[in-house]
Amino acid sequence: MTDEKTWIIQAQHGNDDAFTNLVEAYQKPVHNLCYRMLGEMEAAEDAAQETFLKAYQNLARYDRERSFATWLLSIAAHHCIDKLRRRRFNAVSIDEDEEGQTDIPDRSAPDPESEIMKNQQRERLQLSLQSLDPTDRAAVVMRYWQDCSEVEIAQALKLTVPAVKSRLHRARVELAELWEEKPARMRHERKPYGSPAF
Amino acid sequence: MDHRPFEDWLLDNQELNSEQKHQLNTHLRTCSSCTSIAELNLALNSVNEVAPAAGFSDRFQVRLAAKKQALRRRNLWGFIILTLSALSILTWVAWPILKDLILSPVNLLATWISSLASFWAAIQAITRAGEVLFKVVPTFVPTYVWMAILIAAGGWSLVWVLSLIKFTNVTQGV
Repeated sequence: MTDEKTWIIQAQHGNDDAFTNLVEAYQKPVHNLCYRMLGEMEAAEDAAQETFLKAYQNLARYDRERSFATWLLSIAAHHCIDKLRRRRFNAVSIDEDEEGQTDIPDRSAPDPESEIMKNQQRERLQLSLQSLDPTDRAAVVMRYWQDCSEVEIAQALKLTVPAVKSRLHRARVELAELWEEKPARMRHERKPYGSPAF
Repeated sequence: MDHRPFEDWLLDNQELNSEQKHQLNTHLRTCSSCTSIAELNLALNSVNEVAPAAGFSDRFQVRLAAKKQALRRRNLWGFIILTLSALSILTWVAWPILKDLILSPVNLLATWISSLASFWAAIQAITRAGEVLFKVVPTFVPTYVWMAILIAAGGWSLVWVLSLIKFTNVTQGV
Protein backbone atom coordinates (compact mmCIF):
# COMPACT_ATOMS: atom_id res chain seq x y z
CA MET A 1 0.00 0.00 0.00
CA THR A 2 1.34 3.46 -0.92
CA ASP A 3 1.97 6.21 1.63
CA GLU A 4 -0.90 8.20 0.17
CA LYS A 5 -3.41 5.35 0.62
CA THR A 6 -2.20 4.82 4.18
CA TRP A 7 -2.57 8.52 4.99
CA ILE A 8 -6.05 8.58 3.48
CA ILE A 9 -7.19 5.59 5.54
CA GLN A 10 -5.64 7.04 8.70
CA ALA A 11 -7.16 10.45 8.01
CA GLN A 12 -10.57 8.85 7.44
CA HIS A 13 -10.20 7.32 10.90
CA GLY A 14 -9.61 10.77 12.39
CA ASN A 15 -5.82 11.02 12.32
CA ASP A 16 -5.08 14.74 11.78
CA ASP A 17 -1.34 14.18 11.27
CA ALA A 18 -2.10 11.89 8.32
CA PHE A 19 -4.30 14.59 6.82
CA THR A 20 -1.48 17.11 7.29
CA ASN A 21 0.75 14.79 5.24
CA LEU A 22 -1.87 14.91 2.48
CA VAL A 23 -1.93 18.72 2.71
CA GLU A 24 1.86 18.80 2.38
CA ALA A 25 1.73 16.49 -0.62
CA TYR A 26 -1.00 18.32 -2.52
CA GLN A 27 -0.60 21.97 -1.47
CA LYS A 28 1.26 22.93 -4.65
CA PRO A 29 -1.16 21.55 -7.30
CA VAL A 30 -4.20 22.77 -5.36
CA HIS A 31 -2.72 26.23 -4.81
CA ASN A 32 -1.62 26.43 -8.45
CA LEU A 33 -5.12 25.54 -9.69
CA CYS A 34 -6.63 28.19 -7.41
CA TYR A 35 -4.09 30.79 -8.54
CA ARG A 36 -4.68 30.06 -12.23
CA MET A 37 -8.43 30.21 -11.66
CA LEU A 38 -8.56 33.35 -9.50
CA GLY A 39 -5.47 35.21 -10.70
CA GLU A 40 -4.46 36.54 -7.27
CA MET A 41 -2.09 35.01 -4.74
CA GLU A 42 -4.12 36.06 -1.70
CA ALA A 43 -7.37 34.72 -3.11
CA ALA A 44 -5.57 31.55 -4.22
CA GLU A 45 -4.18 30.95 -0.71
CA ASP A 46 -7.65 31.39 0.78
CA ALA A 47 -9.27 29.13 -1.82
CA ALA A 48 -6.61 26.45 -1.37
CA GLN A 49 -7.07 26.50 2.41
CA GLU A 50 -10.85 26.27 1.98
CA THR A 51 -10.38 23.36 -0.43
CA PHE A 52 -8.45 21.38 2.18
CA LEU A 53 -11.03 22.24 4.83
CA LYS A 54 -13.82 20.97 2.58
CA ALA A 55 -11.80 17.85 1.83
CA TYR A 56 -11.27 17.31 5.58
CA GLN A 57 -14.99 17.67 6.26
CA ASN A 58 -16.01 15.36 3.40
CA LEU A 59 -13.21 12.81 3.71
CA ALA A 60 -15.62 10.10 4.88
CA ARG A 61 -17.41 10.40 1.52
CA TYR A 62 -14.23 9.95 -0.52
CA ASP A 63 -14.23 6.71 -2.52
CA ARG A 64 -10.74 5.17 -2.23
CA GLU A 65 -11.13 3.51 -5.63
CA ARG A 66 -10.83 6.94 -7.26
CA SER A 67 -7.80 9.20 -7.60
CA PHE A 68 -7.37 11.39 -4.54
CA ALA A 69 -5.68 14.11 -6.61
CA THR A 70 -8.65 14.29 -9.00
CA TRP A 71 -11.07 14.42 -6.07
CA LEU A 72 -9.12 17.23 -4.44
CA LEU A 73 -8.76 19.19 -7.68
CA SER A 74 -12.48 18.74 -8.26
CA ILE A 75 -13.21 20.39 -4.90
CA ALA A 76 -10.76 23.21 -5.68
CA ALA A 77 -12.15 23.78 -9.19
CA HIS A 78 -15.77 23.90 -8.01
CA HIS A 79 -14.84 26.21 -5.14
CA CYS A 80 -13.08 28.61 -7.52
CA ILE A 81 -15.88 28.43 -10.12
CA ASP A 82 -18.41 29.33 -7.41
CA LYS A 83 -16.19 32.15 -6.21
CA LEU A 84 -15.76 33.54 -9.73
CA ARG A 85 -19.48 33.36 -10.42
CA ARG A 86 -20.20 35.23 -7.23
CA ARG A 87 -17.78 38.05 -7.67
CA ARG A 88 -18.18 40.71 -10.30
CA PHE A 89 -15.57 40.88 -12.97
CA ASN A 90 -12.78 43.25 -12.02
CA ALA A 91 -9.46 43.92 -13.57
CA VAL A 92 -7.15 41.18 -12.37
CA SER A 93 -4.01 42.19 -10.53
CA ILE A 94 -0.83 40.70 -11.85
CA ASP A 95 1.30 42.61 -9.39
CA GLU A 96 1.70 39.45 -7.38
CA ASP A 97 3.96 37.23 -9.35
CA GLU A 98 4.62 33.56 -9.62
CA GLU A 99 6.72 32.98 -6.53
CA GLY A 100 7.54 36.69 -6.68
CA GLN A 101 9.76 36.37 -9.73
CA THR A 102 7.62 37.05 -12.75
CA ASP A 103 8.77 40.53 -13.60
CA ILE A 104 12.28 40.35 -12.25
CA PRO A 105 14.69 38.80 -14.75
CA ASP A 106 17.17 36.34 -13.38
CA ARG A 107 20.49 38.18 -13.76
CA SER A 108 22.45 34.99 -13.22
CA ALA A 109 20.63 33.24 -16.07
CA PRO A 110 22.67 32.81 -19.25
CA ASP A 111 20.15 34.86 -21.26
CA PRO A 112 18.34 37.54 -19.21
CA GLU A 113 16.42 38.73 -22.24
CA SER A 114 15.03 35.25 -22.77
CA GLU A 115 14.01 35.19 -19.09
CA ILE A 116 12.16 38.47 -19.56
CA MET A 117 10.43 37.02 -22.63
CA LYS A 118 9.38 33.95 -20.67
CA ASN A 119 8.03 36.08 -17.85
CA GLN A 120 6.09 38.21 -20.32
CA GLN A 121 4.66 35.05 -21.86
CA ARG A 122 3.59 33.78 -18.44
CA GLU A 123 1.92 37.09 -17.64
CA ARG A 124 0.16 37.14 -20.96
CA LEU A 125 -1.03 33.58 -20.55
CA GLN A 126 -2.33 34.31 -17.06
CA LEU A 127 -4.19 37.38 -18.33
CA SER A 128 -5.62 35.43 -21.24
CA LEU A 129 -6.80 32.70 -18.88
CA GLN A 130 -8.84 35.24 -16.92
CA SER A 131 -10.97 35.94 -19.97
CA LEU A 132 -12.15 32.32 -20.26
CA ASP A 133 -15.38 30.95 -18.84
CA PRO A 134 -14.60 29.57 -15.32
CA THR A 135 -15.33 25.95 -16.26
CA ASP A 136 -13.26 26.20 -19.46
CA ARG A 137 -10.47 27.76 -17.43
CA ALA A 138 -10.57 24.91 -14.92
CA ALA A 139 -10.39 22.40 -17.78
CA VAL A 140 -7.37 24.18 -19.32
CA VAL A 141 -5.53 24.42 -15.99
CA MET A 142 -6.19 20.77 -15.17
CA ARG A 143 -5.07 19.72 -18.64
CA TYR A 144 -1.86 21.76 -18.92
CA TRP A 145 -0.70 22.44 -15.37
CA GLN A 146 -1.84 19.24 -13.65
CA ASP A 147 -1.47 16.89 -16.65
CA CYS A 148 -4.95 15.47 -16.08
CA SER A 149 -6.46 13.29 -18.78
CA GLU A 150 -9.76 14.24 -20.41
CA VAL A 151 -11.46 11.47 -18.42
CA GLU A 152 -10.09 12.85 -15.14
CA ILE A 153 -11.17 16.38 -16.07
CA ALA A 154 -14.64 15.07 -16.92
CA GLN A 155 -14.87 13.34 -13.53
CA ALA A 156 -13.61 16.38 -11.65
CA LEU A 157 -15.85 18.92 -13.39
CA LYS A 158 -18.85 16.58 -13.65
CA LEU A 159 -18.89 16.79 -17.46
CA THR A 160 -18.89 14.20 -20.21
CA VAL A 161 -15.61 13.46 -22.05
CA PRO A 162 -16.93 14.95 -25.35
CA ALA A 163 -17.95 18.07 -23.43
CA VAL A 164 -14.42 18.36 -22.01
CA LYS A 165 -12.92 17.97 -25.50
CA SER A 166 -15.25 20.62 -26.84
CA ARG A 167 -14.52 23.00 -23.97
CA LEU A 168 -10.74 22.54 -24.37
CA HIS A 169 -11.00 23.19 -28.10
CA ARG A 170 -13.12 26.32 -27.57
CA ALA A 171 -10.75 27.56 -24.86
CA ARG A 172 -7.71 27.09 -27.12
CA VAL A 173 -9.45 29.03 -29.91
CA GLU A 174 -10.22 31.89 -27.52
CA LEU A 175 -6.72 31.87 -26.07
CA ALA A 176 -5.18 31.81 -29.55
CA GLU A 177 -7.24 34.84 -30.57
CA LEU A 178 -6.04 36.72 -27.51
CA TRP A 179 -2.49 35.52 -28.07
CA GLU A 180 -2.50 36.93 -31.60
CA GLU A 181 -3.08 40.42 -30.19
CA LYS A 182 0.20 40.32 -28.27
CA PRO A 183 2.94 42.92 -28.92
CA ALA A 184 4.99 42.37 -32.05
CA ARG A 185 8.22 42.43 -30.08
CA MET A 186 7.24 39.22 -28.30
CA ARG A 187 6.67 37.50 -31.60
CA HIS A 188 10.01 38.70 -32.90
CA GLU A 189 12.03 35.99 -31.14
CA ARG A 190 9.98 32.93 -31.91
CA LYS A 191 11.01 29.74 -30.16
CA PRO A 192 10.96 26.24 -31.68
CA TYR A 193 7.39 24.97 -31.53
CA GLY A 194 6.71 23.05 -28.36
CA SER A 195 3.28 21.70 -29.13
CA PRO A 196 2.66 17.98 -28.69
CA ALA A 197 1.80 18.21 -32.39
CA PHE A 198 5.56 18.32 -33.09
CA MET B 1 -5.46 32.01 -46.47
CA ASP B 2 -6.69 28.46 -45.91
CA HIS B 3 -5.74 27.36 -42.39
CA ARG B 4 -7.08 23.82 -42.66
CA PRO B 5 -5.98 21.29 -41.58
CA PHE B 6 -3.13 23.11 -39.76
CA GLU B 7 -5.39 24.98 -37.37
CA ASP B 8 -7.17 21.76 -36.34
CA TRP B 9 -3.85 19.97 -35.86
CA LEU B 10 -2.67 22.70 -33.53
CA LEU B 11 -5.94 23.32 -31.70
CA ASP B 12 -6.53 19.63 -31.01
CA ASN B 13 -2.88 18.88 -30.17
CA GLN B 14 -2.81 16.07 -32.69
CA GLU B 15 0.18 13.75 -33.07
CA LEU B 16 1.73 14.37 -36.51
CA ASN B 17 3.93 12.27 -38.77
CA SER B 18 7.09 13.72 -40.32
CA GLU B 19 5.35 14.71 -43.58
CA GLN B 20 2.60 16.54 -41.68
CA LYS B 21 5.21 18.28 -39.50
CA HIS B 22 7.00 19.47 -42.63
CA GLN B 23 3.74 20.80 -44.14
CA LEU B 24 2.90 22.55 -40.88
CA ASN B 25 6.33 24.18 -40.63
CA THR B 26 6.01 25.47 -44.21
CA HIS B 27 2.55 26.89 -43.44
CA LEU B 28 3.72 28.52 -40.20
CA ARG B 29 6.38 30.51 -42.05
CA THR B 30 3.65 32.41 -43.89
CA CYS B 31 0.68 32.34 -41.47
CA SER B 32 0.70 34.60 -38.43
CA SER B 33 -2.65 33.25 -37.16
CA CYS B 34 -1.44 29.64 -36.95
CA THR B 35 1.90 30.85 -35.59
CA SER B 36 -0.01 32.40 -32.71
CA ILE B 37 -1.68 29.08 -31.96
CA ALA B 38 1.68 27.31 -32.10
CA GLU B 39 3.18 29.88 -29.74
CA LEU B 40 0.23 29.47 -27.42
CA ASN B 41 0.77 25.71 -27.43
CA LEU B 42 4.42 26.31 -26.61
CA ALA B 43 3.45 28.57 -23.70
CA LEU B 44 0.81 26.12 -22.44
CA ASN B 45 3.20 23.20 -22.58
CA SER B 46 5.98 24.97 -20.70
CA VAL B 47 3.95 26.33 -17.77
CA ASN B 48 5.15 26.28 -14.17
CA GLU B 49 3.19 25.51 -11.03
CA VAL B 50 2.84 28.35 -8.54
CA ALA B 51 3.67 27.14 -5.02
CA PRO B 52 2.04 28.69 -1.95
CA ALA B 53 4.09 30.74 0.50
CA ALA B 54 6.09 28.70 3.02
CA GLY B 55 4.14 27.42 6.04
CA PHE B 56 0.95 26.55 4.15
CA SER B 57 0.21 23.44 6.21
CA ASP B 58 0.86 25.34 9.47
CA ARG B 59 -1.64 27.98 8.42
CA PHE B 60 -4.05 25.16 7.54
CA GLN B 61 -3.66 23.69 11.05
CA VAL B 62 -4.54 27.08 12.56
CA ARG B 63 -7.57 27.44 10.28
CA LEU B 64 -8.70 23.88 11.02
CA ALA B 65 -8.42 24.43 14.77
CA ALA B 66 -10.45 27.67 14.49
CA LYS B 67 -13.07 25.89 12.38
CA LYS B 68 -13.33 23.03 14.89
CA GLN B 69 -13.70 25.48 17.76
CA ALA B 70 -16.39 27.43 15.91
CA LEU B 71 -18.19 24.16 15.18
CA ARG B 72 -18.02 23.10 18.85
CA ARG B 73 -19.36 26.50 19.92
CA ARG B 74 -22.15 26.31 17.36
CA ASN B 75 -23.08 22.79 18.50
CA LEU B 76 -23.14 23.89 22.16
CA TRP B 77 -25.39 26.86 21.41
CA GLY B 78 -27.56 24.63 19.23
CA PHE B 79 -27.93 22.14 22.09
CA ILE B 80 -28.79 24.87 24.61
CA ILE B 81 -31.37 26.50 22.31
CA LEU B 82 -32.91 23.13 21.42
CA THR B 83 -33.15 22.06 25.06
CA LEU B 84 -34.71 25.35 26.13
CA SER B 85 -37.18 25.23 23.23
CA ALA B 86 -38.13 21.63 24.04
CA LEU B 87 -38.61 22.48 27.73
CA SER B 88 -40.75 25.51 26.86
CA ILE B 89 -42.98 23.48 24.51
CA LEU B 90 -43.27 20.66 27.04
CA THR B 91 -44.25 23.10 29.79
CA TRP B 92 -46.81 24.77 27.52
CA VAL B 93 -48.36 21.41 26.50
CA ALA B 94 -48.34 19.99 30.04
CA TRP B 95 -49.48 23.17 31.71
CA PRO B 96 -53.12 22.00 32.40
CA ILE B 97 -51.80 18.86 34.11
CA LEU B 98 -49.12 20.72 35.97
CA LYS B 99 -51.72 23.25 37.14
CA ASP B 100 -53.96 20.43 38.48
CA LEU B 101 -50.97 18.78 40.10
CA ILE B 102 -50.12 21.98 41.89
CA LEU B 103 -53.74 22.82 42.89
CA SER B 104 -55.06 19.30 43.86
CA PRO B 105 -52.41 16.57 43.75
CA VAL B 106 -54.58 13.85 45.41
CA ASN B 107 -57.39 14.08 42.82
CA LEU B 108 -54.91 14.03 39.96
CA LEU B 109 -53.09 10.99 41.39
CA ALA B 110 -56.39 9.10 41.73
CA THR B 111 -57.29 9.89 38.10
CA TRP B 112 -53.92 8.67 36.92
CA ILE B 113 -54.16 5.39 38.83
CA SER B 114 -57.66 4.80 37.43
CA SER B 115 -56.41 5.49 33.88
CA LEU B 116 -53.49 3.10 34.37
CA ALA B 117 -55.79 0.35 35.62
CA SER B 118 -58.09 0.78 32.58
CA PHE B 119 -55.10 0.68 30.24
CA TRP B 120 -53.77 -2.50 31.87
CA ALA B 121 -57.18 -4.20 31.58
CA ALA B 122 -57.35 -3.26 27.86
CA ILE B 123 -53.90 -4.70 27.21
CA GLN B 124 -54.84 -7.98 28.91
CA ALA B 125 -58.06 -8.27 26.87
CA ILE B 126 -56.18 -7.64 23.58
CA THR B 127 -53.54 -10.25 24.54
CA ARG B 128 -56.18 -12.88 25.23
CA ALA B 129 -57.96 -12.15 21.95
CA GLY B 130 -54.63 -12.40 20.12
CA GLU B 131 -53.84 -15.77 21.69
CA VAL B 132 -57.20 -17.14 20.55
CA LEU B 133 -56.72 -15.84 17.00
CA PHE B 134 -53.17 -17.21 16.87
CA LYS B 135 -54.49 -20.68 17.67
CA VAL B 136 -57.53 -20.59 15.38
CA VAL B 137 -56.40 -18.74 12.21
CA PRO B 138 -53.54 -21.11 11.10
CA THR B 139 -56.03 -24.00 10.85
CA PHE B 140 -58.11 -22.05 8.30
CA VAL B 141 -55.24 -20.70 6.13
CA PRO B 142 -53.52 -23.23 3.80
CA THR B 143 -49.69 -23.60 3.78
CA TYR B 144 -49.22 -22.14 0.28
CA VAL B 145 -50.86 -18.87 1.38
CA TRP B 146 -48.35 -18.57 4.22
CA MET B 147 -45.53 -19.20 1.71
CA ALA B 148 -46.92 -16.54 -0.62
CA ILE B 149 -47.10 -14.05 2.28
CA LEU B 150 -43.51 -14.83 3.29
CA ILE B 151 -42.23 -14.44 -0.33
CA ALA B 152 -44.09 -11.15 -0.73
CA ALA B 153 -42.61 -9.85 2.54
CA GLY B 154 -39.12 -10.90 1.41
CA GLY B 155 -39.54 -9.19 -1.96
CA TRP B 156 -40.84 -6.05 -0.32
CA SER B 157 -37.83 -5.96 2.05
CA LEU B 158 -35.46 -6.43 -0.90
CA VAL B 159 -37.04 -3.48 -2.75
CA TRP B 160 -36.62 -1.36 0.38
CA VAL B 161 -32.97 -2.32 0.83
CA LEU B 162 -32.13 -1.68 -2.84
CA SER B 163 -33.92 1.68 -2.78
CA LEU B 164 -32.00 2.72 0.34
CA ILE B 165 -28.67 1.69 -1.25
CA LYS B 166 -29.52 3.64 -4.41
CA PHE B 167 -30.57 6.83 -2.64
CA THR B 168 -27.72 6.83 -0.12
CA ASN B 169 -25.06 6.28 -2.79
CA VAL B 170 -23.06 9.54 -2.66
CA THR B 171 -21.35 10.84 -5.79
CA GLN B 172 -17.76 12.11 -5.58
CA GLY B 173 -16.78 15.75 -5.69
CA VAL B 174 -18.22 18.62 -3.79
